[in-house]
Amino acid sequence: MKMKKLFQFSVLSSMLILSACSGGGEQAAGEKEGKDGSGGAVKADIGVVSYISGPGAAYGEAITSGLKLAQKEINAKGEVDINLVIEDSAGKQDQALTAAQKLINSENVTAIIGPTLSTEMNVVGPEADLSGVPIMGTSTTADGIPQIGDYVFRNSIPEALAIPASMKKAIEKYDAKKVAILYGNDDVFTKSGFDTMKEAAEDMGLEVLTIEQFQKGQSDYNAQLTKIKGLNPDLILCSALYNEGAVIMDQARKMGIDVPFVGGNGFNSPEVIEIAGDAADGLIVATPWYGEKEDPKVKEFVSNFEKEYGKKPDQFAAQAYDALYIMAEALKNAGEADRDALRDALAEVKDFKGILGNFSFDEEGDVVMDPTVLVIEDGAFKIFE
Amino acid sequence: MLAELINPYHFQVASFILINIILGISVYITLSTGQLSLANAGFMGIGAYTSALLTIHFDLPIVLGIIAGALVAALLGILIGIPTLRLQGVYLAIVTLGFGEVIRVVFINWESLTKGSVGISGIPHIGREILRVLKGFGFDPKVIGLQNNQFIFLSIFLLLFIITIGVIWFFRRQHRSRVGRAFAAIKLDEKAAESMGINITYYKVLAFAQGALLSGFAGALYAHVLAYISPADFAYHRAVEILIFVVFGGSEVIWGPIFGAFFLTLMPEVLRFISEYRYMIYGLIIIILMAVRPQGLIDVNLLNWVKTKGKKRGQKHGTGNTKSM
Amino acid sequence: MLIEQLINGITLGSIYAIVALGFTLVFGVLGIINMAHGEIFMFGAFIGVIVTTSLQLPLWLGFLAAILITAIMGYMLERFALRPLRSKQGVSHLAPLISTIGVSILLENLSHHLFGAGNHPFRASFAEINFQIGSITIYLVQIVIFVISVILMMGLSFWLGKTKAGKALRATAENLETASLLGVDTKRMITMTVIIASAMGGIAGILVGMAFNSVTPQMGLSMGLKGLAIIILGGMGNVKGAMAGGLILGLAETFIVVYGDSGYRDAIAFLAIIVILLIRPQGLFGQKIST
Repeated sequence: MKMKKLFQFSVLSSMLILSACSGGGEQAAGEKEGKDGSGGAVKADIGVVSYISGPGAAYGEAITSGLKLAQKEINAKGEVDINLVIEDSAGKQDQALTAAQKLINSENVTAIIGPTLSTEMNVVGPEADLSGVPIMGTSTTADGIPQIGDYVFRNSIPEALAIPASMKKAIEKYDAKKVAILYGNDDVFTKSGFDTMKEAAEDMGLEVLTIEQFQKGQSDYNAQLTKIKGLNPDLILCSALYNEGAVIMDQARKMGIDVPFVGGNGFNSPEVIEIAGDAADGLIVATPWYGEKEDPKVKEFVSNFEKEYGKKPDQFAAQAYDALYIMAEALKNAGEADRDALRDALAEVKDFKGILGNFSFDEEGDVVMDPTVLVIEDGAFKIFE
Repeated sequence: MLAELINPYHFQVASFILINIILGISVYITLSTGQLSLANAGFMGIGAYTSALLTIHFDLPIVLGIIAGALVAALLGILIGIPTLRLQGVYLAIVTLGFGEVIRVVFINWESLTKGSVGISGIPHIGREILRVLKGFGFDPKVIGLQNNQFIFLSIFLLLFIITIGVIWFFRRQHRSRVGRAFAAIKLDEKAAESMGINITYYKVLAFAQGALLSGFAGALYAHVLAYISPADFAYHRAVEILIFVVFGGSEVIWGPIFGAFFLTLMPEVLRFISEYRYMIYGLIIIILMAVRPQGLIDVNLLNWVKTKGKKRGQKHGTGNTKSM
Repeated sequence: MLIEQLINGITLGSIYAIVALGFTLVFGVLGIINMAHGEIFMFGAFIGVIVTTSLQLPLWLGFLAAILITAIMGYMLERFALRPLRSKQGVSHLAPLISTIGVSILLENLSHHLFGAGNHPFRASFAEINFQIGSITIYLVQIVIFVISVILMMGLSFWLGKTKAGKALRATAENLETASLLGVDTKRMITMTVIIASAMGGIAGILVGMAFNSVTPQMGLSMGLKGLAIIILGGMGNVKGAMAGGLILGLAETFIVVYGDSGYRDAIAFLAIIVILLIRPQGLFGQKIST
């Protein structure tokens, strides 16, 4: 045990030294970009690592759409001139890492937005941190992401914040005591959502009747749902991606399960209503993003987005949109396209008013924000009271 | 000056190429006795998890972790190999495919050990460890004019390069030895080989275990280069990808998988804009190659042609080496 | 509850069986494992979605379109991925396996581009018809699926055993050269086999779409691997075995959820492959492998 502590300490300290050294060294690269910080717009290359091809391409598409829209608006204002360098990760860690390496070392970007998945961030984050490049996740919600290092940030609400919030409200309203949990066990997103759910359920003193799993590519959830139905839960906690989740709700309603579902972060998308129709009623999710909010900023964003891409923005697009605005704000404050100056400016961001609401980073680079709890009623997301 | 030449991005890609070369060879070795194994992604996972868990929980040095990972994979290869190698051709391919998937499902469900699909992060990183050790001796990369991260990736690359050369050297030697001739005889005609007194089971299990050892080894290296692994890294798609290296490059000579891994790892980096269509192109490549050139791009004839061409010009490179390839 | 689970298992098993029938037909005649069968099945499901949900056309037209298009895909598969290998001398017996893996990769990624990565709901009013027996809800689709699978199995058995074309097919399966010497147009026989098998995949696809209201590009791989397990379970090339194997796997996957750990649900198929091939390579219902 003592050895281990010692080892950890030595690794930690060597990493600290490393990040300090490399951070100092890389400065030169960043400074080449926009030295004309006085007077004119701050010019900066921002790298983007996103999941553009493969099964999860829908997420990457939403994210890059949100970023491009924000880029257009920001550059039009003229205070900051951002150039986006977008690279594909195909949802794989090794490709995300090479993409990030390319951005850091060949493209000399000032900062990186992305990657899409938490697994990818687990690989890319340490590398960016060691190279002294600020990196901000817009959709990485797993535990421990901003704790990777000083240069790692995120503006996506972590599950540990969102899931308990929605569970708490649902339990109060329906006076639930017995719950069943259903989750996808071969996906990082849904698995870590489940871990949070289980912990929250234990904290809240709920009786967990059963924990059922499903795997990717299965389209038959009847066996699990029939078992859950037989146990008569008051609530079903379901950590699934919206594609699977919508089908699960459809099959559940068909067999006569009418209790509400509480979903994880991956479950929150207008697509659920598209896919499941009426069966989606009764889904409760916590989200930073609510498209129907009575806020001129939100309305403007939604209409601009629809004009540009012909569909309603989802949470991923909204988070990416805000992320670039936060970057721009920090760049403006930093006054130059320097990696270290930008990092410090990012850490200072407080009470930023975005389309997601009031936003601040805590000292670790994590999100400080209150999620909104929504419920689907009559085929639309409404605020859950 | 040296510093300007070293771009960590290029070295990162080069490192993945080298790991993929080892993986390609692992399939090639098993295939050189005429057996197709699709379990190599699973063995890769075994190697990666073994080494990652040992180095994290028992503070084992990375070197020992990697060796242990390779050995555990080889051991499992022998255990699986002995009963399955009675099966022929496609049956073997399917059983190994099944094993690969079972291994992945176990990784997902054995949460207390593997953390399930969330994966294991914080695996000791080879390059950072090397730097740490060297720093302990008072070495500073700045002495040779390098940044820390440049040095890290340079050292990973050099290490992997030496390892890969060693692997290639070993298997080329083996190819020309008694073992290699036995492999070739079994591939050509199993019954005839048996009647010549070759112990079929022994050599088939040997080839299978060597394949497992190599993929476990590559998996362990992968874990320590990426510092993070999850079960999804070792799924069916990985098995197919490794197979494509061999099918594309050629399964007759060792240069086949080497070229296949090199080209197919580099191509998506060079042509990043077509990355969206990469897997469609992979699929097409397989279909076309199987129809037109089932032995892959590089085969014995091509090598002989290159050799005679080289000799005509009076160059001496590669004399004797390519003879038996 | 048990009866409901039994119905779930039989529905799933019937779908598996239809997928496996296509698999086993190709293997029985050509001795080839068609790894692209799952993806053809997935395309069948997508055609069903497009015709019935996007174009709002009647269901029977959806079936027709799915059968037609998967049949064409079967022809293309045979023409471009399998036939070139047959005419070549000295091609490894692994070549067709690898070639069909290539087709499956191509089709899976093509479907990402054609249909998008998301899930497509299947809206057919037919899928909503249900009736109650006690506390149990049974959907008409579930019964239809079971009936279709039985009809397909019996039809296939009859066709292979009793008709002239079926006999020619079996002759082709027995020995390609002898059959062609005896005047069987083996080329046509082989093409027909792959086409029929693919069309059966298309039917299975559209049935899955209706039963589970879910169609994604990823469903092909999972179903393909399951189908593979089933034909090994039932005996390669064995029509009745495929049916039985499908039902066994469907029930096993359902009941591991009821009594065991649903996390290992996907592993059953692969464990079955391993155990069967090691202990009884001819499958549960097969005779000893002849060649």
